[in-house]
Order: sequence, then C-alpha cells, then structure tokens
Amino acid sequence: MLTTFKTDLKPFEDLANSFAAKELTKKVEEHDKYPFGEFFTGVVNKMYDVGFLGATLPEELGGIGGSISTLCVILERICRADSSAGGIIFTNALAQQIMLASGDENLAKKIFPKAKTASDFLVAFPSYTDPAHAPKLPDAVKAGRGYTVTGSLELLVLGSLASKALVPARTKGDTSYSFFLVDLDDAGMEKSEPVFTLGLHACPAVDVTMKGVKAKLIGEQGNGGVYFNKVSSRMNLAAAAMNAGIMKGSLGEAMAYSKERFQGGREIINWSEVSMLLAGMTIKADVAEMCVTQACLALEQGGDNRASACISASLHIHELACEAVTDGVQVLGGNGYMKDYGQEKRYRDARQIQALLGAAPMKKIDLVRGLAGLD
Amino acid sequence: MLSCSEVTARLKEFPKFEDMYLSLPYAPHMPAHMVKQTKEVVAIARKFNEEVARPRAVELDRKTHEDPDYMPWELVELANRWGFYSMWIPKMFGGKGYNMPSMSYFSEEVGSVCLGIMNVIGVHYLGVAGVMASANTSLSRRIIGDVVQGEKTGKPCLIALATTEPGAGTDVEETELVDKGKVTCHARKVEGGYIVNGTKVFISMGHVSSWTVLYAYSDLKRPSETSVGLMVKTGTKGFSFGTHENKMGQRVCPASVLVFEDCFIPDDQVLFDEERVRKFTKKPFREISQRYIDYVVAATRAGVGAFGVGAARGAFEAALKYASETEVHGRLLINNEWVQCMLAEMYKNVALGRLAYIEANYANSHRGLYKMLQLKPFYYYLLLMPQAYFDNVVAPLLEKESSQKLMGRLYYEWAKDADQRCCSGWGSLAKVAGTDIGITNCQMALELMGQTGLRQDAGVEKLLRDAKLVQIYEGTNQLNRLNMFKCLIAPVVPQARVFEE
Repeated sequence: MLTTFKTDLKPFEDLANSFAAKELTKKVEEHDKYPFGEFFTGVVNKMYDVGFLGATLPEELGGIGGSISTLCVILERICRADSSAGGIIFTNALAQQIMLASGDENLAKKIFPKAKTASDFLVAFPSYTDPAHAPKLPDAVKAGRGYTVTGSLELLVLGSLASKALVPARTKGDTSYSFFLVDLDDAGMEKSEPVFTLGLHACPAVDVTMKGVKAKLIGEQGNGGVYFNKVSSRMNLAAAAMNAGIMKGSLGEAMAYSKERFQGGREIINWSEVSMLLAGMTIKADVAEMCVTQACLALEQGGDNRASACISASLHIHELACEAVTDGVQVLGGNGYMKDYGQEKRYRDARQIQALLGAAPMKKIDLVRGLAGLD
Repeated sequence: MLSCSEVTARLKEFPKFEDMYLSLPYAPHMPAHMVKQTKEVVAIARKFNEEVARPRAVELDRKTHEDPDYMPWELVELANRWGFYSMWIPKMFGGKGYNMPSMSYFSEEVGSVCLGIMNVIGVHYLGVAGVMASANTSLSRRIIGDVVQGEKTGKPCLIALATTEPGAGTDVEETELVDKGKVTCHARKVEGGYIVNGTKVFISMGHVSSWTVLYAYSDLKRPSETSVGLMVKTGTKGFSFGTHENKMGQRVCPASVLVFEDCFIPDDQVLFDEERVRKFTKKPFREISQRYIDYVVAATRAGVGAFGVGAARGAFEAALKYASETEVHGRLLINNEWVQCMLAEMYKNVALGRLAYIEANYANSHRGLYKMLQLKPFYYYLLLMPQAYFDNVVAPLLEKESSQKLMGRLYYEWAKDADQRCCSGWGSLAKVAGTDIGITNCQMALELMGQTGLRQDAGVEKLLRDAKLVQIYEGTNQLNRLNMFKCLIAPVVPQARVFEE
C-alpha cells in the first residue's frame, strides 16, 4: 500500500518480492532449523549484495540511501516469506541508525564503505531491549584515548555473524548510558553459542561477557539514550512493518489452505466460522498495512505527533499480529501446528518481533510519559 | 412464596437450573474422601514436578530440536515407575482407583511446568477412556490388565487412541459430519475378525504405546452407521508407524502417523461394532457411535481444559517470579500498579479456567462417563474393598456376557439424552475456556518479560508453543463452540440446525 502513495519505492518492493521468492520461500523450514541446522550464510551474503543490509545508510557510506519507508517496504515483503532475514536487516539498520544519530559520520565511514563482505558490514546490537530499561548494563571506563567495557549483555543479535557490535554501557557518574563500538574478536570478549529463542531462529543472537574490551565511544558520553530515542520511533515502525508482513504471509497461507482443505463435504472456506476467522485476519492485516503506511507518511511530512504515531502504530500492529498469527495456525488445525507449514513459525516470530526494542508495556508507559512531558 | 410446581417449572426454563448450576446440587453428593484423595494427588504432582518435570522440561524440549526423532522412553519409564498409568483406572479393572476428577488437578499442576510431559502421562487416559466407554468389560479388563502388569514388571504399557485421518480431523468427531468427510480407514469384516487398511495421523504417543484404540469404518460410504472400534497391538502384522510429526510444541510427546495395510484384527479385539452393540440396545447405531464419542470427549475435553489452565498458571508463575526479581529504574517491577493488575488478571484467568473444568467434572461425575464411580456407596465400596477381592471375585464377573450387557444398557440404553448433552457441552466449554486463557496468559507473560521471555532456556516461550496445541486437539475450539451450541443452546431452539449451513 505504501508504494501506491510513494511509487518511487515500487522497485524496492519488487526487488524484495523477487528476492524472497528466489532465496527464501522454498527453504523457510530448512533455514529455521538453525541453530540445529545449517545457517543460511549464502542468503545473508546475497542480502548484502543487493543492498538490503544498508537500506537506510547514505550512499556515500555504502548504503542505498533509502528512507525509513524504504526499509519498511523491504522488511514487509521479506517478512511475508521469512522474518529471520528481516531480523538481520532490521538489526543492522538499527545499529547504523544509532551511529548516524550520534552525528559521528567518520566512524561509519571507517566501517561501511570499506566492508568487503557481509560480515564486515554487519554490526551486532542487543535489539530486544531499550537500554534505558535494562536492569543492568555493562560498565565503561576511560582508558587512554578510548574506553574499556566490562560486563554482560544478553541476546546480542548478529553477535555470531558480525565482526563488530554496538553495545550500551554505563560510565561512572553519568545518569544515562553511552553507546560503544566494540570488536567481537577482542581477547576480552566471550561469546556464547547462539541462544535458542522462540522465533527468528536464523537471526541469531548470543550472550556476551566482556572483560576490559577495548571500545570506541559513539557520539558523546552519556548520550546513548538521546541517540536511541532519536531512532526509536522510526525503528519501532520498521519492526511493525515486519509484523505487518508476517500477517500478510499468515493470511495468504490460511486463505490458500482453506480453499483446498475439505471438511464436512466442502472446502473449509465455505464454513462461515472459518470465514469469520479469515475475515478477522484480513481486517487485522489490512489495518496493519494502513497503519504502517500512514505512520511512514507522517514521519516524512513531519508534524508534532509523528513519534507517538509511530509508537502507537507499532504497539497496535504487534498486538494485531499476535492475534492474527494465532488464528493463522487455527485455520490449518493440526497441520498449522506442524513445521511442514509456515504458520507455526509465524506464530513464534510475531511474538519475537513484538519484543524488538524492548517490552511492550514499558513502551506504553514511555509513550504516555513522553506525551505528558514527564520525562 | 412459590408453589413447588411453580419452582419446578421455573427451573426448567432456559437455561435449565440443572444445566447451569452443577457444583451447587452435586457438591453435597460428593464423597468426602475425594477431598483427601485430591489433596494427595496434588501433592504427588508437585513432588513429581520438583523431582522429574521441572529439571527435565527445558532440556528435553531442546533435545527434541537437536534430534527430531527423539522418543520419550525414559520419561515413560519414570511415569510408569511413579504409577501414573494406572492411577486413575478403577480398582475393579486392577488400577489404583483414584477419583477421576482429581486427574484434572494433576493435569493443571504438571501442565503448569510442561504440557508435553503432562501429555506423555495424560493422553494414555484418552485411550483408557476409549476402552472403558465401549462397555466391553471383558476386553477392557484384558487391555487394562496389560497396563497394570506393565507397572509391576517395569515395562510400560500405554494405550493410544487413533481417530484423526489425513483428510479428516473435525469430521471424525461428529457423526453429523463424518458421512460428508474424507475418511479412508476401512475395516472389512472377514471370518474371525476385521482387516484394516488406512492411515491415522497426529496420534499422540502412538510410537510408544503398546495398544491403540483404532476407530475405523466398515463402509466408507456410510461411516456414521458403520464405525468399528478395534484394539490393535503394536507389532501386529500390517500395522506400522510412519513419520514422527515435527511439531511446534509439546515436542517431548510424539505425534505419530499410523499405517494399516491388510492388518488383521481378531474378533476378540473388537471393542465395539454394530453386532456387539445390538446385544444391549436397539437404538440406531449412528446414535450409539455419537454417544460413544461424547462419553470419551466429554471427559477428556475437561482434561484438556485443565491442560490449558496449567499453561496459564505456568505463565502466571513465571511472570510473578520475573516481576518479583527484576528491577527497572531501581524499583522492582512487582511494585508497579500496572504489573500488579496484569498479574491479578492472569490469576483471575487461571481461577476462571479452573472453575470451568471443575464444573465439567461435576457433570461427568453425576451425569456422565464415571457417574457410577462417584456414587457414594459405590465409591466407598471400591475404596475399601481389598484389591484381591476385585481380582478374584469381580474380574471373572466382568468376563461374563451379562456384565457387558448390563454395562452397555447403563451407558447406552438407559442414559438420558439431556445428561449426555450437559456433559458434552460442559466438556467443550471447559476445553475452550481453559485453552483460550492458556494462550492469553502466555502472551501476557511474554509481553511482561520482554527479551527474557524469548529464551528457550527460560521456559516461558515453550509454554506458549505448547499451549497452542490445546486449542487444536480434542476438536478445534471452533468445533467445540459448535458442540456447546448443539448441546447447551440448540435444544431450546427447535429451528436451529447444527453442521447444516
């Protein structure tokens, strides 16, 4: 729908569609076996080659210079097929956006334009948290011209794929935290095996323990929260686009199945209760698509409430998605519960995506406090 | 204020008093000993959780991902050693004779830790119900005797029940639908037995069961009038296992594909067919088939409701622990009003789900499958008489044709339609209520716990995966809603037609 209003994005939509059809759709179950099966390294390399890993990165930094709308279009289409691939695109974009939000383009110039491989281009990030709400963050200490970071982080997404990570840490005396760029091959860096999680199996995350890891400060000390908040609303919208895509995927599979599966002597779509389930899913998927579109347009046109519009759209879409994918399994009955079909994966992935950028209730509290000017 | 006749008339108005208030009239008739026994069952479940289920749940789930062909032999042996496979089998059949409603409480307790492990224990009783509801006391005694013997020898003997087919899930649960469905499991009557051909799918614990209650049809064009119940022993020629399904959750409990190719089942393993049924009732066989299904599912759906409540409770307990231990901005989460309200909502969900299965149990206890076992005199007779008495005096009686006729008449000739509808409707109600709140609470726990909830090693995401299945098996919740309508609402609307839109 967004490409109806912004026709310049149509080529990205087509590219994402063809990529999904060629590289993802037929191997979703196989890719989802990770970490107990092979990782789809070839797919990640191809995502890098076509530019998905730098969707919102300026061209001079090695990206394709797209807007958040570009990212949403790509993510929505990719996640219709396999949201693990979407999770990789999302996390890298999030790390890039925070680096750019700090105003320190020099650092980005040293990383992205010089990258030769996907691994060089990827930056790991703890995508499932808002560091401001984290019970505990690593500590950062000034050491010479740089810093060292000590402490632990859970679910550092892409930690097993990337060579660098953007990590939040607290410096003594500061009220807020700071972001640091660390080398994942640093001698003081200890990484776990990929953590097995509910969904997005092929978007791996690791737990890390850092002991005096050399770190480069991003932007200014104590400003991590400022940078995070700068990108939070639009990246929440990008996460919502992922779930909007999942809903479309779930609806598509449910529709197709209900036209083929017989029960009581007729295709199940011809039983009105199944139609009601499908109608509910359609309404939710359409509303989600409209919310993403409108929020993207609001972001681009500016306006006082654009940040809250993005967060509201995001929270609403995630809730719709979790309901829709549950019904998506239900339409397929026992088959929907089996890995031979895509619905059970969507059921898991939608909840995993809902947790991106922090727990939903905390976002709701922040939304109101922000609007009321309490923070 | 009102005459007795007017009170009676008022209470017959819809919804009938007897169909809406179950615990109120029936609780006083409950044998007092049931409370003591149920307390013991809950305590056993908690001990089992501490010693077996909790230490293994997450690890076994991971193992099943590493090895999709994993089979829970060790778990089955443990459950066998704990005596769970004969715990709710009546003493006259050689079991321990714990009261049937207590199994729901057990299911909630163990289900709150792991629905997969609970199903490794619980789905055996779907098979047991399938055997017992046939009124074939002789064959029941023989099959269940194997279960009891399996506990004594340490070689577990479990019973699976196979109805679902590749092209028919919902259809096989209703005689109204089955004639229009695509059933293919054919039982051809031959000299001395039946020859079976066909496939059954999604059969919980099929691979690890010794006996399977097989629901087949002697005429695939008229399945509702020609259903046949057969007991098939694992290893029988012509019976093999196909794929082991790759499920999202409850992975420790395998879902099997059962394949029958010219599989001969002798007459003495026929649980029921029209010929047998004619010995005790002249009612249309189609009606008897539906009644058999209803007896089984009215009891087992209440149990699945308890499974759902277990998931809801597991989610609540995980959320409570997390909120009690996690600080955000220097304050424990649990000291935020919104968290307290969220936890209260989850607690409420658990309580309401539990009330639903308790009511369904009252229906089954006083108007359904185990009505006889809950009659006070009979309950205490079973409780107090020594096992040797049942083995030596009662068992031979169960072999007699007259006993089977009596049981058949009790269950199928004399049972009231209204009682059947009440039990079946409430079974569905409990199933829908419990399983829906299972998903609701798991979702709430995940939202509260953020990234911690996503980790497989934290156990909560597994609850969400496990919980989804209970909205599907024992009839999808959509089918169960329709059954509720059919049993509890439609009887007062003469023009209402179910499954006929």
